[in-house]
Amino acid sequence: MSEKKSQAATAKPKSFGWIAEYVDEHSLLTASRKVRDSGYTKTDAYTPFPVHGIDEALGIKPTILPFIVLGAGFTGLFTALVLQYWTNAYDYKYIISGKPFASWPANIPVAFELTILFSAFTTFLGMWALNGLPKLSNPLFNSERFDRVTNDRFFLHVDSRDKYFNRESVKDLLAGTKPESLEEVIEDSSPTTLPSVIWLGLGFLFCASLVPVAVVLNMRAGNDENPRWHVFFDMDFQPKKKAQQTTTIFADARIARPQVPGTVARGSLVNEDPFYLGYDPTKQASLNATSNVRLVSAADDKAEKPADASPDTPSDKTGSVDAAKPTEPANVVEPAKDIPAANAAPASPVPAPSATPAAAAAPVAAGGPNLPWISEFPLEVDASLIALGKTKFEIYCSVCHGYAGDGDGLVHRRAEQLQQGYWLPPTSVHDPRIQEQPIGNIFYTISNGKGKMAGYGTVLSPKERWAIVSYVRALQRSRNAQIDDVPVELRAKIEEAKKAE
Amino acid sequence: MTTTNSSDNLKLPEAWAGKYLWCFTLGVILIAASGLVFFVGAPSKTEGLRFGMHSYLANFIYAISFGIGGMFFVLVSFLTRAGWSASIRRLAELISMTIPWVACLFAPILLVVAFSKGSALYEWNFANVEDIKESIVQAKVGYLNGPFFATRAVICLAIWSLIVGYYYRLSRKQDETGDVRLTLDRQKWSAVLMMIFALTVTMASFDWIMSIDADWFSTIFGVYLFSASMFGFFALMIVSFMVLQRNGKLKDEVNIEHYHDMGKFLFGFTMFWSYIAFSQFLLYWYGNIPEETAWFRVRISDGWQYLSYGLIIVHFAIPFLGLLSRHVRRHRSGLFFFACWALVVHWLDMTFLVMPNAGPFSMIMMFGHMLGGIGMFSLFIGFLLLRASDAPLVATGDPRLHEALSYANPLL
Repeated sequence: MSEKKSQAATAKPKSFGWIAEYVDEHSLLTASRKVRDSGYTKTDAYTPFPVHGIDEALGIKPTILPFIVLGAGFTGLFTALVLQYWTNAYDYKYIISGKPFASWPANIPVAFELTILFSAFTTFLGMWALNGLPKLSNPLFNSERFDRVTNDRFFLHVDSRDKYFNRESVKDLLAGTKPESLEEVIEDSSPTTLPSVIWLGLGFLFCASLVPVAVVLNMRAGNDENPRWHVFFDMDFQPKKKAQQTTTIFADARIARPQVPGTVARGSLVNEDPFYLGYDPTKQASLNATSNVRLVSAADDKAEKPADASPDTPSDKTGSVDAAKPTEPANVVEPAKDIPAANAAPASPVPAPSATPAAAAAPVAAGGPNLPWISEFPLEVDASLIALGKTKFEIYCSVCHGYAGDGDGLVHRRAEQLQQGYWLPPTSVHDPRIQEQPIGNIFYTISNGKGKMAGYGTVLSPKERWAIVSYVRALQRSRNAQIDDVPVELRAKIEEAKKAE
Repeated sequence: MTTTNSSDNLKLPEAWAGKYLWCFTLGVILIAASGLVFFVGAPSKTEGLRFGMHSYLANFIYAISFGIGGMFFVLVSFLTRAGWSASIRRLAELISMTIPWVACLFAPILLVVAFSKGSALYEWNFANVEDIKESIVQAKVGYLNGPFFATRAVICLAIWSLIVGYYYRLSRKQDETGDVRLTLDRQKWSAVLMMIFALTVTMASFDWIMSIDADWFSTIFGVYLFSASMFGFFALMIVSFMVLQRNGKLKDEVNIEHYHDMGKFLFGFTMFWSYIAFSQFLLYWYGNIPEETAWFRVRISDGWQYLSYGLIIVHFAIPFLGLLSRHVRRHRSGLFFFACWALVVHWLDMTFLVMPNAGPFSMIMMFGHMLGGIGMFSLFIGFLLLRASDAPLVATGDPRLHEALSYANPLL
């Protein structure tokens, strides 16, 4: 640095203008007015605290920043409105709360925020830009007296770049304002360009930033046969075992451990009890060869896993069974004599024991599985259960099926209003088909869904589902009630009403 | 600087002495004329009373809102130990001191609540609970009944009168003694009274305005009335000082810096009013629940939609864009125009709050309402002139007065 400075010193030092020092802000203001009135515009005042009226005294014109900010605010407003209109009403139309696609009241908060955001950023960045910031150095710092500007002195600077600047006349003018001191500032002669080491560093950073991009592009475009790079090796290869791998820890070398006898895996308790299923899996096994094999093998702890363990009916989806309930293997096909499913639809031909899985799955494809539905409630039905069913029905079912179960819930009505051709109306629980369905089938539908209806097995406990079934039965009964169904003490009232008609 | 001023400079112009009698006469005549318009113009006597009372209430709220704004300004000046406003605070005190007199104008409303058969004004105002149409309103009669309503109104107006009376009395005492302790006392009480102010303004807005449509509710309603009152108050301050200075008074005590700050407040409360009004609307619009949207339903039908949607333009867009620039806020004529504008749209806002519940829009009714509005404003100006007739227009003994006189906005 010092070498360069001495080199520059041989050239004629360039003036940066004059600075005058004052002891209080009043003399600064007086001097500023005098300089302003002499026609100088490239001037500035430096003070230890904000001085009221200094802008006016120096003749500084009002900034244009407010207009830039106003423009930015309108840009933000316009951006927000266009963005919301385009996303909501054009690109991805989606009904929200039944409001129109282009819903101006809903857009106002975002429009407001974006107006503020754009304005705030523009104010901040615009202030920097208009003030020429960041400015890393100022020739005024060369003056030793100038250090007191942050403490107790006031300085007025007339820049040599002013178009009327004349060294002698400015000096005379400032001397006439009776400053504490008057000094000519010499332009900082050190090179104004950034040192080459900083350029080098920036260049290096820029090149380094290209490396990840280049690597990604190479990976995506190239067709190298080698495996991909492992940037995070310990994430790609973690010290753990995955299923189907071997181990030396256990004698059988299997890493996937068999179930401990006498325990039930989480979520696997269900599959044996009609309470959880709506049908009798024992009878199902007798009708379906695959299930049968499954059931038998699961009953025997030592049995090998069946090779053809592909799930074919929904009941088999977990593939694990309760080992605590061994079931007699039933090889004989029993006709479904006590299976009420016969009521619902013409009983499909009972699959032969040797039926292929495809054949067993056929009824599913036809619109619903034909399973040995149970027709008795597996729990006690009383008023509290029906009341629970009513509550849950009105929460989960009524939006589509309606409060009375007629299939006229609000969602359905809205869909009709919108004339959505693809809307499949919800089924009425008073449909004769549903009235004849055994309760097990209704339970199964609630649990696993049907058609467009989603399954509610994940959100409702089995007891709640049975409660809904009981409430559905109550709704159906309400349309077909006999006088015997009415409590004795109320029958007289109905007889009276009948007579009145 | 004040001490060198002749005290004449701080008094009302001499030509104005006794003018309050003119104001009172004009006010009474116009209000009577508006009553005549309502009874002649309405299809029936019941309708006439209904429109008349709604109109009277809206104009009453308009008149008292200036006092509410003045009271808040005085309280917040002491709460924040504001120095810049010391020279303009006396006018705010005088405006707030109209409250005890404007409060007497509430009497007709109490009379209607006590004696009218059927709901001339308030949906809940029936002697028999069974006569109330809405079952929701029936359930609210424990709070909304004549005697309790009157009690609350009297308590509320009395509290306000006590607050403004206390601040005015100490301020006048300080004119003579210049005692700093008087300022400290008012500072001490300002925080507590500010909370009481918030509670009572909310209660007043709920009782007087919101309970017209008693099955509707909005917890933000008090803030709405507050924002509207401040908007009207600053407009009145700016207009008053401009008129006084045009008559040669207060030349040195109020300068462009004070106007600039009052203009900022006017601008700020334009924004705040819009923010509150829109917040209230957005939630109900989005929820779309019948009992919540009913209030807006009557305001966007039967001709009132032109007023309601028009307010967005005249009460938000025009003053917002107009006052956005500091050049306008520091320009006397520009600021005077928007302050006058604000006084008018503030009246439209009060009309929007009350009148749609009276019935469908009709020009003859709006004509009567406008006559009543001018009459009520005339009465208010009369009160203000009477109040200001024997007091200096600047708190000359205020220890912070020098701050206000040498006050300048930072930056250009």
